[in-house]
Formats: sequence, structure tokens, C-alpha cells
Amino acid sequence: MTDRSPAGSGVSPRLAEAPQDARSAMTGTGRLPRALHPGAWWLWAFGLATAASHTTNPLPLALLIAAAALVVVRRRGNAPWAFAFRLYLVLGAVIVAMRVVFRLVFGGGQGEHVLLHLPEIPLPAWAAGIRLFGPVAAEQLLGGFYDGLRLAAMLVCLGAANALANPKRLLKAVPGALYAVSTAVVVALSVAPQLVESVLRVRRARRLRGAAGQGLRALRGIALPVLADALDRSLALAAAMDSRGYGRTAAIPAGQRALTGGLVLAGLVGVCVGTYGLLDATVPGYLGLPMLLAALATAVVGMLLAGRRVHRSRYRPDRWRITELAVAGCGAATAAAMMAAGSADPDRLYPPVSPLTWPELTPLMLLTIVVAVAPAWLAPPPALAAKPAVESAPNPPDGTTRSAPRRDTRQPETPR
Amino acid sequence: MTTALRVAPRTAVVLALASVAALATFSWPFFVPAQPESMARTTEAPLVFIAVLPVLLALVLAELSSGGIDSKALAMLGVLAAVNAALRPLGAGTAGIETVFFLLVLAGRVFGPGFGFLLGAISLFASALLTAGVGPWLPFQMLAAAWIGLGAGLLPARLRGRAEIAVLAGYGAIAAYGYGLLMNLWFWPFSTGADTQLSYVAGAPVLENLHRFAVFTAVTSTFGWDTGRAITTAMAIVLVGPAVLAALRRAARRAAFDAPVTFATTRGPAPSASGTDVGSRMRLRDTGQQPRIEGDPSPPPSPAGR
Repeated sequence: MTDRSPAGSGVSPRLAEAPQDARSAMTGTGRLPRALHPGAWWLWAFGLATAASHTTNPLPLALLIAAAALVVVRRRGNAPWAFAFRLYLVLGAVIVAMRVVFRLVFGGGQGEHVLLHLPEIPLPAWAAGIRLFGPVAAEQLLGGFYDGLRLAAMLVCLGAANALANPKRLLKAVPGALYAVSTAVVVALSVAPQLVESVLRVRRARRLRGAAGQGLRALRGIALPVLADALDRSLALAAAMDSRGYGRTAAIPAGQRALTGGLVLAGLVGVCVGTYGLLDATVPGYLGLPMLLAALATAVVGMLLAGRRVHRSRYRPDRWRITELAVAGCGAATAAAMMAAGSADPDRLYPPVSPLTWPELTPLMLLTIVVAVAPAWLAPPPALAAKPAVESAPNPPDGTTRSAPRRDTRQPETPR
Repeated sequence: MTTALRVAPRTAVVLALASVAALATFSWPFFVPAQPESMARTTEAPLVFIAVLPVLLALVLAELSSGGIDSKALAMLGVLAAVNAALRPLGAGTAGIETVFFLLVLAGRVFGPGFGFLLGAISLFASALLTAGVGPWLPFQMLAAAWIGLGAGLLPARLRGRAEIAVLAGYGAIAAYGYGLLMNLWFWPFSTGADTQLSYVAGAPVLENLHRFAVFTAVTSTFGWDTGRAITTAMAIVLVGPAVLAALRRAARRAAFDAPVTFATTRGPAPSASGTDVGSRMRLRDTGQQPRIEGDPSPPPSPAGR
């Protein structure tokens, strides 16, 4: 996977993205298309989001958004979630617009360069003596824009992970303690498409009986049978899961169970104390964030230990290979580089709004962006699911083998 | 009332502690001090809480399922979450029409608080994976919906008939307003930024920040979205509530969550619990008995009665 030299890495994806049918013939020199471990994409995205949270400079923020978009465009598959990225871009734009509009309507961040005077509307006293509109200063709008852009950049980075990572395969990777919950989610994801089929069936049956009618009565006539059908199906599913051995647990000595429970409880008490410490300036500093993090770690360790009760086998587990490490490492390096840029040059990362100044880029910021965009070439090209080929092949099971709801839910969960 | 998912005392304590901590991740703007030492910039504080909440949520979900969820309860969870996730897009985009909560309230009522909590969280998670998209808002939505399901399970059990529907509809309306308030609360610092007249003021008295928040939420959503959400939820409960409750109760009776499953084996003492730590061969025999458990769950079925 990573046998390409850096010099050649610019060429190989182009080869691999050649027309679908020619792809297999050309991979002698390129890389095999495959789906990256979803965790790697999420770690990369968290790294980018962390980097974005450390600056309000619009130049690196815009570049980060562009980097995330480029990686998404080059490395997303053709699954439905891969096209969610546009939604996040729209949401980001909405956030920026909301910030600016709030500044415009409710004021705040007064400045010297007044762009226009809007008529003031004082609200009555019960509304905290707020006045609407009034003079609009450039500094005020720019402050809102910077803040909103930072939030939007973080959101877009998470949206990139949404578009790139397969959520069903991520569910496979959850720790054992969350196994039952993730199984319920897998059941929900596979049952939801069947509800449509159920609705169609009930409607057809109604029509055959000559039950015409629109409106509420028809809605009840369809909705309730569909619900009853779904509930019946859940019982059949439960019997199927039972017969396949769902719910087998490993025997763990009582002492160890008490220990894990104690760890979780102690951790949660610590979280409460840490949150209080974070919000109360009079308590010593170590009761704040350090306490919170230590307590969370304690509780998570307890949870992971408790998860050892669950024994399950995995069919075709996703493995961490060097490419995954490289992609996740790019995210971490992006965050680290942006923090380094921040400690070296805080004024450039947080450009002052008043007096108005042009935002500037530094070489370190550019390096950050280069690292952030590297997965567009580092990651292997996505395995595009050619629909007919997948459906004729034996179902690639996505859930864990123990959950076994597949046989009974008539529609296999192929990655769509 | 059946309880599809038993909440052990330890789990209840974990749930309470995590809820207190989680409430702080919603309401920190009221309490944040003016000059905190551990939070150098006010812009960092929200990010800390956004990172903490998913971990808290995972802890609670793991703890609730730590006793081993009965496969029937788990399948029911999955199916009801799927119905909820399918209902959600029906209302999206139309101002204030909210189709998620009524089934959540009714299912929480029938299957108990622990089940309701899990259903709320899983419904919104599945819905995010199917249609809505995963983002920083998701843990907040999951937790708020989980609280709604939990509260529905904690309503007084005796009520039946019209009184029950009235109470559930009232609860649904209140829960819809509460959900809107919580969502506004977590997004408040992000939507307004730090220094508009509607923003929170670090270090100000709690009442003053509450006042600002009240104005913010009234201006942005309460009279539009939240009222619409409350009305649709209450209407849905009144209109289809009785029929849905009957369907859910029938399913609960058929599933016989309360029926103790006992195993009489020839080797060793029989474990009396729900059979989770018995080998798969034993479970097979258990499900073979399923159809006979139908009807009244009170007489304990005795599989393998020899």
C-alpha cells in the first residue's frame, strides 16, 4: 500500500482512477482501491478540526476547508453518505451568515469604521434593555465573520470524515462494552429500508380490500399495521438472534466486576468534580481540566474492562495498516503544526479586528495545509461499489457475525 | 408496566452522575467564571465540553447495557429506532413539525425508563447515520432525546385510559419545549459568539445570564419551532396514542420480558437469571418455548420441565 515513492505518488491515483473496467488491469503499477479504516479518517478529521479551532485567521481557515474538500473529492466512494459533504458546506455557510446577522441585529463588538447607520429599535425593559440595529461597524461584522468561519471550518472537517468513513464499518470497531448498543443501531439501519417495503405492502392490501380514503383515517390504516408488522418482526429477529447464540457472555469473577464498576463510578464522580472545578475560579487549578481528563480516563478504562465480558468474533475485521497510520498521522501533525504556529506567532493566528489589519500567512501555516491535504494522495483510491457486481457477489457482511440479524432481515446490508 | 430493561442500582447511580455532568455541558454559560485559570480563552470552553459529552454518553450507554440486554429488548430497540429514524425526515424542513417524540414517549411509557433512555439515544444516532448527518450536535440531541424517553418511563404507572393519554400528551408537549430549550442552550454560545447583546456574559450573575438566554430563545425559536413541535407531539399522542399503546403493549406481552426464564438442567445448579450466561445450546431450547409464553406472563414458564 505504501510502496510508492513520494515522487511517484502523484501518478498512481490517476492510474487507479482510470475507467472502472480498466482498473483491475492497471493496478499492477497503481495501488489497489480499498476502503480505508474509518477510524483513520475520523482521526484525520479531528486533527484538522483541532487545527481550525486554534486560529481565527481566515486565510488558513479557508485553506483548511479547501484541503478537506479536495481530499473528499479525491477519496470518497459512491455510497450515499459520501455525498453528504455538500450539506456540511451549506451548514457552514449558514453558521457564518448567522454570526454576522446576529452582530448586525443585536450589536456587540463596537468599532470605529461605521459602515452604515440603521435605525435603532429599543426593546422594552423585560427584554434585558436590548436595542436592535443601530450603527454597523466593520470591526463588528469582521469579528462575527472570523468566529463563524472558524466554527464552519471545524464543522466542514467533521463533514469530511462523514463523507469519507463508512459508518457501518465504524460500528464494527466500537469497544466491547458498547457492543449491544451498536448491535441495536445495526438492526435499526437494516430495518429502516424494510419499512418502506412494509408501507407499500400494507397500502396494496388496503387497496385490494377497497379501502379508499385519504387523510387521517388512511394514515392510521397504514401506520398502525406497519408498526405492528415491525414489532412482530422484532420478535422474529430476537428468536433468530437467540438461536445464533447472541448474548453469550464470558464469566468474569465478581471481584473484577466490582472493580470495573468502581472505576466507572469513581471516574464519574471525578468528572462531576472536574466540571465544577472548571467552572469555579476559586478552587485550585488542578481540580479543573486535569481532574476532568484523569476522571474521564478512569471511567473509560473501567468501561473497556467491563467490555471484556462480551465475546464476539469479527468477520473480515478492518486492520490498521501503514496507510491508516499515515492518514491519522497527517491529522495529528496538522493539529501539532497549527499549535506550533500559534505559540510562535499568536498575532498572525488571531489577527486583531481593531485596528483593522490584513490577515497574513506564515510558512508554518502553509506547511500545516500541505500536511492536511496529503491524504488526498497518501490514501488508496476508494473501492467504488459497482452496484450489480456487489449484489451478485455473496453478501459482504458488514455487521459483526454474532449479531446475525442479516438472514432474517430480508435485505442484506450491502454497503450502498 | 413491563420493564424491558432492568436498571440496577449501580446503573441508576451512574446514570444520575453522568446526567449531572452532562447537564453542565449544556448549561455552562450560566456558571462560567469571568477569569478562569484553566480556561484561558472563553472560546476554548465550549470545545472542552463538546469533547467531554460523547465520552459521558458512551459511558452511560455501556453501563445501561452492561447487564446484557435481552435479545428481545434489543431487537425491539432496533426496530423502534428504525421507525423513529424513518419518521424523522417526515417533519424535517416543515417548520416545527416534529414526528420523533410521540413514539419515543409512548415506547418509554410501555417499556420502562432504561429502555426509553436507550431508545432516545439510538433513534437519533440511527437517524443521523441514515439521513441527518453526524456532527457536534449529535451527542447533545441524543442525550436530550434519551432524557425524554427516560422521563416517559418514570411517569406514574397506575394511570390507564384517558387519564394516561392526557398525561402523556402533556408530558410530550413539555418534553418538546424542554428539548428545544436544551438545543438552544448548547448552541447559544456558538450562534451568538461572545459579545452581542444576547451572548452570555462570563462571570455575570446566573439570573442575568438566564434572562439573556430567555430573550435569545424567545427571539429565535420558542414561539415558532418549539410551539409547533409541542403541538404536533401532543396531537399525535392524542390521535394515535391509544392504538400505538395497545400495539406496543401487545408486543411487550408477547415478548414476555417479565417472565423469569428458569433452566432446570441435570448438571450443576441452575442459574436463575435471564439466561445470559448459559451456553447457546440452552438458549436454543429457550426460544423453542417462545410461542407458549404468549398471553399472560405471570405464570413462569418452565422450559425443560422434567
